[in-house]
Amino acid sequence: MTWRLALLGLLAVLPAAFAVPAFAQRVEPPPASLPPMGGPPDSSAPPSVPTEPTTPELIVDLSLARVSITSAFQGESILMFGMFDPPGEIVVVVQGPAARETVMRKQRVLGLWLNTGRQSFDDVPAYYAIAASQPLQRLLARGAGGEILSLEDRLSTIKPATPRDSAELAKFRSGLVEVKRQEGLYPAAIGQVTVQAGRLFRVDLPFPSRLPEGIYEVKAYLLRDGKIVAAVSRPLPVGKVGFSAQLAGWSAHEGPLYGLGAILMALFAGWIGGAIVRRL
Amino acid sequence: MEIYLPIAEQSMNVFILLGLGAAAGLLAGMFGVGGGFLATPLLIFVGIPPAVAVASQANQVIANSVSSLQVQWRRGNVDLRMGLVLLLGGMIGSSAGVSLFTYLKRIGQIDFVIAVLYVVMLSSIGLLMLAESLRTYLKRRRNPEAPRGKLHTHYLVHRLPLKLRFYKSKLYISALLPLALGFIIGILSAILGVGGGFVLVPAMIYLLGMPTSVVIGTSNFQILFVAANVTFLQAATNGTVDVVLALLLIMGGVVGAPIGSRLAAKLPGVALRGLMSVLILAVAAELLTELLRTPSSIYSLSTREVLP
Repeated sequence: MTWRLALLGLLAVLPAAFAVPAFAQRVEPPPASLPPMGGPPDSSAPPSVPTEPTTPELIVDLSLARVSITSAFQGESILMFGMFDPPGEIVVVVQGPAARETVMRKQRVLGLWLNTGRQSFDDVPAYYAIAASQPLQRLLARGAGGEILSLEDRLSTIKPATPRDSAELAKFRSGLVEVKRQEGLYPAAIGQVTVQAGRLFRVDLPFPSRLPEGIYEVKAYLLRDGKIVAAVSRPLPVGKVGFSAQLAGWSAHEGPLYGLGAILMALFAGWIGGAIVRRL
Repeated sequence: MEIYLPIAEQSMNVFILLGLGAAAGLLAGMFGVGGGFLATPLLIFVGIPPAVAVASQANQVIANSVSSLQVQWRRGNVDLRMGLVLLLGGMIGSSAGVSLFTYLKRIGQIDFVIAVLYVVMLSSIGLLMLAESLRTYLKRRRNPEAPRGKLHTHYLVHRLPLKLRFYKSKLYISALLPLALGFIIGILSAILGVGGGFVLVPAMIYLLGMPTSVVIGTSNFQILFVAANVTFLQAATNGTVDVVLALLLIMGGVVGAPIGSRLAAKLPGVALRGLMSVLILAVAAELLTELLRTPSSIYSLSTREVLP
């Protein structure tokens, strides 16, 4: 029973820990599936915390049920936390939706740098991050492999849309990583998974401001002796909300209408602006 | 204060964007041309994707030209016939320009083409203006009461067919000339997001030989409709018009324009043109350096395609 008490304590303390500025800016109320901010958890516990007395070996939750891109969005940091039955090690893998990405390569032509090469890959994750409670290489070296893939291993599975010799493909692949890393979409080192009291763990997942939309997957693994003994996956929807979502939606699906709206907006703004200027 | 731009898909400081709009408005007020040709490269410098910068700038140009067209129209400074011929060329040119833009974007060369066109255009205009203002300055110093030349000179182009009478401009020239001019401005407008006033105005004076009084009003007439066409087509085909970005630029412009016109009233014309040419050349030089310098990464990503 001690672990349930500890969990209750954790849930009661966490909301207070979340009252950092990044969350304070948020406009919409926290989603219903989360315990209310600042208050003790109510009887309808979050779905990942079973009320049945079964004892799963791994329980996880996210500090936010979704990443909402509002007009004030500047990136977000989400906390994944949970507890597990010791002994064991925790690995967390976050993966963005897969899509076709085209990598362009510049070359100097007559002194000017311009794109001369291109290569498309299918099934490229928009975002990929992996964190572990112990150095990852050590955990994976012990044969945990299989399902848990390091970024390099994950990217070795992406399929080139057009065939090319493997040396060239490898260059484009590393170019892809380079760009994605710069954009913060393949964070090189996300904070380690920290374990407290041997059974509570937490890890911060950083998301940059230029974040592709879609359903992300956050998956936590419990490893024991290099083998996966439990895994819990949580979907994490990332999407624009509010005014930004409206505008982006119109622009994508109602292009001509959006164009007319943009023209009217500019005509009106120019007319008002002109009137103000002439008054001065 | 940061604001998320829904189409550019990134957050950006509001004051940077307002400041850029104000700077463009300042130029518009000072020189009577839209500041688009400087605002677009500056937007690209601060990290807005070139495709979005160009399309949103076209949206801003509408606001800029509608307020100045209002004034010119009331004063009767618009040669409607000339404006319509220019506009016909402009509509064809801008529609072709947006198609060309879409094609270049698809093959991944749009950023390069935008940069090269800007370098060529800005450096030639900057050098011409600099030479002109230096010449005027030296001439004035030597002979302050130099007589003005003829209204305009006649070249080979005046022998082209399809001659039309433009009463307000006191011209009898081939319609092909303004048509071609409008076409070129339309292409520039579509690919570079500029109104094109800084090319159109000198061309109307020196190439067509229009009287200066109707040049600003008539060019504004053409620019307004061409910019609207570009905005519409960019939104409909590429979805690259960011209205939040455009609105911030417009708001900045409202503040900048009156300051610019007040400055213009105080400074002598030669000094103004000299100043502007230096500014234009500086932007051209920066763009050229970007093209010549070894990039920090030779790799980049083009648009993500979510496959069904």
